[in-house]
Amino acid sequence: MKIYWQYICISITCFMLNINADIINKNVERVLDLTSQLVKTTYKISVEDLTGIAVKDYVLIIREPNLSYISAKDGFDNTVKLQKQESENIQEHSYILNFLKDSPKQSIYIETVSTKNLLPHPYEIKQNDKQMVKFVGNLYLYSIYKTITQKTNVILSSSNVLSSTQIKPFSLAANKIFFGPYENVEKLTEEELMIHYENQSPFLTVNSLDRTIEVSHWGNIAVKESIQITHSGAKLKGSFSRYDFQKDGRSGQSAVKSYKTYLPASAFCVYYRDTNGNISTSNMNLQQDYVDLDLRPRFPLFGGWKTQYVLGYNIPAYENLFSAGTDYVLKMRLIDHIHDNMSIEEAVISIILPEGSANIKLDTPYTVNHRQNELMYTYLDTVGRPVISFTKRNLVENHITDFTLKYTFSKVSLLQEPLLVIAFIYIIFIFTIVFLRMDLSITSHSHKE
Amino acid sequence: MTVDIGSAGGAATKTRVFLTWEKQEHLVKLAILILAAVLSFATRLFSVLRFESVIHEFDPYFNYRTTRFLAEQGFYKFHNWFDDRAWYPLGRIIGGTIYPGLMVTSAALYRLMWLLNITIDIRNVCVFLAPFFSSLTTLVTYALTKEIHSTSAGLVAAALISIVPGYISRSVAGSYDNEGIAIFCMLLTYYLWIKAVKTGTIFWSAMSALAYFYMVSSWGGYVFLINLIPLHVLALMCTGRFSHRIYIAYSTLYCVGTILSMQISFVGFQPIQSSEHMLALGVFGLCQIHAFVDYLRSRMPKEHFDVLFKTLVSGIVSVVLIVGTVLTLTGKVSPWTGRFYSLLDPSYAKNNIPIIASVSEHQPTSWSSFYFDLQAKVVRAAFSFIYIHICLQILVFLFPAGLYFCFARLTDANIFIILYGVTSIYFAGVMVRLMLVLAPVMCVLSGIAISHLLAKYIKSMDAVGAKPAAEQSKRQHKKLEQQSGGVKSEVAMGFVAVITIMLIVYTLHCTWVTSEAYSSPSIVLSARSHDGGRIIFDDFREAYYWLQMNTPEDARIMSWWDYGYQITAMANRTILVDNNTWNNTHISRVGQAMASSEDKAYEIMRELDVDYVLVIFGGLTGYSSDDINKFLWMVRIGGSTDRGAHIKEKDYYAANGEFRVDKEGSPTLLNCLMYKMCYYRFGQMYTEGGKAQGYDRVRAAEIGNKDFELDVLEEAYTTEHWLVRIYKVKDLPNRGV
Repeated sequence: MKIYWQYICISITCFMLNINADIINKNVERVLDLTSQLVKTTYKISVEDLTGIAVKDYVLIIREPNLSYISAKDGFDNTVKLQKQESENIQEHSYILNFLKDSPKQSIYIETVSTKNLLPHPYEIKQNDKQMVKFVGNLYLYSIYKTITQKTNVILSSSNVLSSTQIKPFSLAANKIFFGPYENVEKLTEEELMIHYENQSPFLTVNSLDRTIEVSHWGNIAVKESIQITHSGAKLKGSFSRYDFQKDGRSGQSAVKSYKTYLPASAFCVYYRDTNGNISTSNMNLQQDYVDLDLRPRFPLFGGWKTQYVLGYNIPAYENLFSAGTDYVLKMRLIDHIHDNMSIEEAVISIILPEGSANIKLDTPYTVNHRQNELMYTYLDTVGRPVISFTKRNLVENHITDFTLKYTFSKVSLLQEPLLVIAFIYIIFIFTIVFLRMDLSITSHSHKE
Repeated sequence: MTVDIGSAGGAATKTRVFLTWEKQEHLVKLAILILAAVLSFATRLFSVLRFESVIHEFDPYFNYRTTRFLAEQGFYKFHNWFDDRAWYPLGRIIGGTIYPGLMVTSAALYRLMWLLNITIDIRNVCVFLAPFFSSLTTLVTYALTKEIHSTSAGLVAAALISIVPGYISRSVAGSYDNEGIAIFCMLLTYYLWIKAVKTGTIFWSAMSALAYFYMVSSWGGYVFLINLIPLHVLALMCTGRFSHRIYIAYSTLYCVGTILSMQISFVGFQPIQSSEHMLALGVFGLCQIHAFVDYLRSRMPKEHFDVLFKTLVSGIVSVVLIVGTVLTLTGKVSPWTGRFYSLLDPSYAKNNIPIIASVSEHQPTSWSSFYFDLQAKVVRAAFSFIYIHICLQILVFLFPAGLYFCFARLTDANIFIILYGVTSIYFAGVMVRLMLVLAPVMCVLSGIAISHLLAKYIKSMDAVGAKPAAEQSKRQHKKLEQQSGGVKSEVAMGFVAVITIMLIVYTLHCTWVTSEAYSSPSIVLSARSHDGGRIIFDDFREAYYWLQMNTPEDARIMSWWDYGYQITAMANRTILVDNNTWNNTHISRVGQAMASSEDKAYEIMRELDVDYVLVIFGGLTGYSSDDINKFLWMVRIGGSTDRGAHIKEKDYYAANGEFRVDKEGSPTLLNCLMYKMCYYRFGQMYTEGGKAQGYDRVRAAEIGNKDFELDVLEEAYTTEHWLVRIYKVKDLPNRGV
């Protein structure tokens, strides 16, 4: 039934696009990178129209749940626009590619990243066990076009493969598996690709990232990230033995003892704490073009364990804030690096602008869900600072790109806060002077010299 | 502080041209006071600078948690708060069992600051509250001493109290405890009381009643205050100084103060029932009688009056005695509670109530008592104690001198400070904690002594050197001649030098003691490594955070009561017993579980619905105030109730009567739950070079029971340095397995 529906959907799409039935995938090369907790796939597809008519549109179907990131380029390294088609099935994402150049032969390079497709199997392991994960995907490119020849290279994190799909031809070499070439695969053919292998790389999921960027026109931008992070790999079964963990190097390999966070090179006043105070187990190394922060959670993260912390730092404003007259542009990373191969379930980004900012216009590199803008009151505020906030789900490292925020701010209002303080102190003095000279007693007494 | 005085004086001489004599004095006074206040705040910040802005020790964590609750939920919720996170399954009514003054103060400050858009964290309010209040204490000490003696004495006293170690020990940043604000409240009440005594107005006595109310709301030590003031009145009566002023002052203070103090639900009806408050009530009655007698005496012929007086006195004394005895016997007037018995008789607690004796701060300040439990804590306490003494020595020299000067010019106010000095010396000798009450009076009396001596000798010093200058002003010249008292200027100079050196030494010592003894948060331990670097043991927070993050929300954690407050505050989990120690049998039950064998303990743990057990173990790092060292207290307290009658202290001693954990140790000890939890898999560890596996660095012994498995527990988490070990209680096994 499911398949049937898909057929209808796809045929409708095909009909709408007036697709030439003579388009074929001449060659498909796919590389699946399963070394980390993410599934990173690169496709190299050569498309050809057999009748020699220029290929304008191409329908691409990615059958991967939790697809987080996708980008496409043509043979000339130009970014190709992906037009997302609505689909009933959340497991399936279909896109229409519009080529910039008309040619009967086109090549496409596609890069995708998806999360949570490597499931630990077994689900629970003991402290000394190795973490095994299972990948289930498609052996063939799922396409509405016929594919002449295709092959898939899978890169694994170790050579320890328990089982895998064995459709010939295929070969195994160290931590790689080569599937194919498979010839003449008909359109919409499905074949499962399953790999069960050892993967000890850190499985960390950032459940929530709360990133606050506070802009001060006195020359500082304060960034604060509160992060909840969970080890989403195989859960720890039974007891945790500190003795084994300390003495035996093989023990708890899938546990995460520390990870690296990269901050902008100019970051200073970095803090790393949680609700109980400073987490005293971290190191900071200044590198040429970034700050390398070696974060050690209070305790090693075993499967299923979570932790929560706040990481904050300041950066000088001149690197990210540009102005011309009263117009300002803030250009900053929407999210920043937390750990390698990170996966963020939900990020909430709030940008706090100085009091008196107006005409705020936000430009993000990808679609985000806007939230109600608010006002925040803190030190010496009177009318409140505008807060722009938005959320985005399922983010990976490829999403680390800049957003731009345009607004207007009159430089005169910069003086408001110092004047407020001066006025306050002035009033206190005036009040004291007047008060000390007043005679509040109700009885009259002779003036003393 | 001598430096401060000097610099302020320098500033004053420069501006002499512009300012009149009075204005100069004002300026110097203000400068000294501000410097003293700032200094008292700044000197308490060592721990924040060395470590971080964090709450210290145990009790402050409870205060912090309740303050957070108050700030978030509002006063009514706080007042009606039933805490189900502590004393499982009993719970605790927090609102009615604490002195809320501290929490209300910080929550009010917090709200006020947020109102002004100062978005400070509640934790920072709590951390910096005690230093802030010690600044206020400095100011109020000045005011008090000024009332009692003179402005100059007030300035010296303010300078002394800003750095006196006895007070600093309880008011460093992060030490968020009742005493932090209570000393301020106490001195404020004293100041207003002296003011009331001097003026005899209802206004000042009502003010002092309000201050007394604040004091009652913040610390149990208010009992000292409500006994001292009546004592003062009594002394005034005895010395024939009773007057209408005193009558008005005391009557107003007692009535308003008592009614107000009864509004604190934790105090309740105690002010009119318990015997600790009876002196105040008695003196109040005596006041009325005395006033009445005075009235009669003024209206009657002498012989009639004498007859009446004799009859009345004998009648009233007998009636009071009979009524008092009857009320005490029927239990209407509560008998003296244990803590106060231990005040009067230092050995009372040790002999009768193990739980009180196990709290080191209730212990008498004698050397022998330091050997009982909490070795490190006690060693630290002892260590700091020596230095308090060294510092106090300077004050101790000056203390009698101050007393002498007070006696020399006896006034109503002086009598008060004399009484305060003498009684607090006694109480501080009895209970370590009351050092705190002694410190301010030491400073006040020393301030009086120093200012007296300096005033005298500096003038004789000037008398020779500054004669031509003195001629300019006739008034000054006269004054000098009057006060120089015929002391040679060389002698005077020498004397002033000695006092200056003494004050400098005092300052250096105080600062040193503060930085060495009182500036570690005890929640984070630090040690020096071989290469001189600093190693930080952050195991407590590691474990508590682990509990908070990785155990179910409603998990119940069993630990010895010392860590109760910290677990509820930092791990936000339910605990069985905590530092409140209000239920002896419940603590005893936990002690029994710790002291029993595994299967016996399992029954108790099932009965108490325990999910996790937490123990503190210092054998790897050499942290000596761990649970094994406290274990004998668990045994004693565990065995002190009926259900734990089978637990006998002597079973846990080795054959030769020693408490040992090695092979010689008693088999009961080597197989009890606490031992097993502490030493689980420790037998495989190499801890120190040249020693066998399982060498315990605290007890300096190789443990006796190495190879064992736990049946009913499993290791859930152990911190990096093994300081905290957490075990999960296993579920009942399935049938037939």
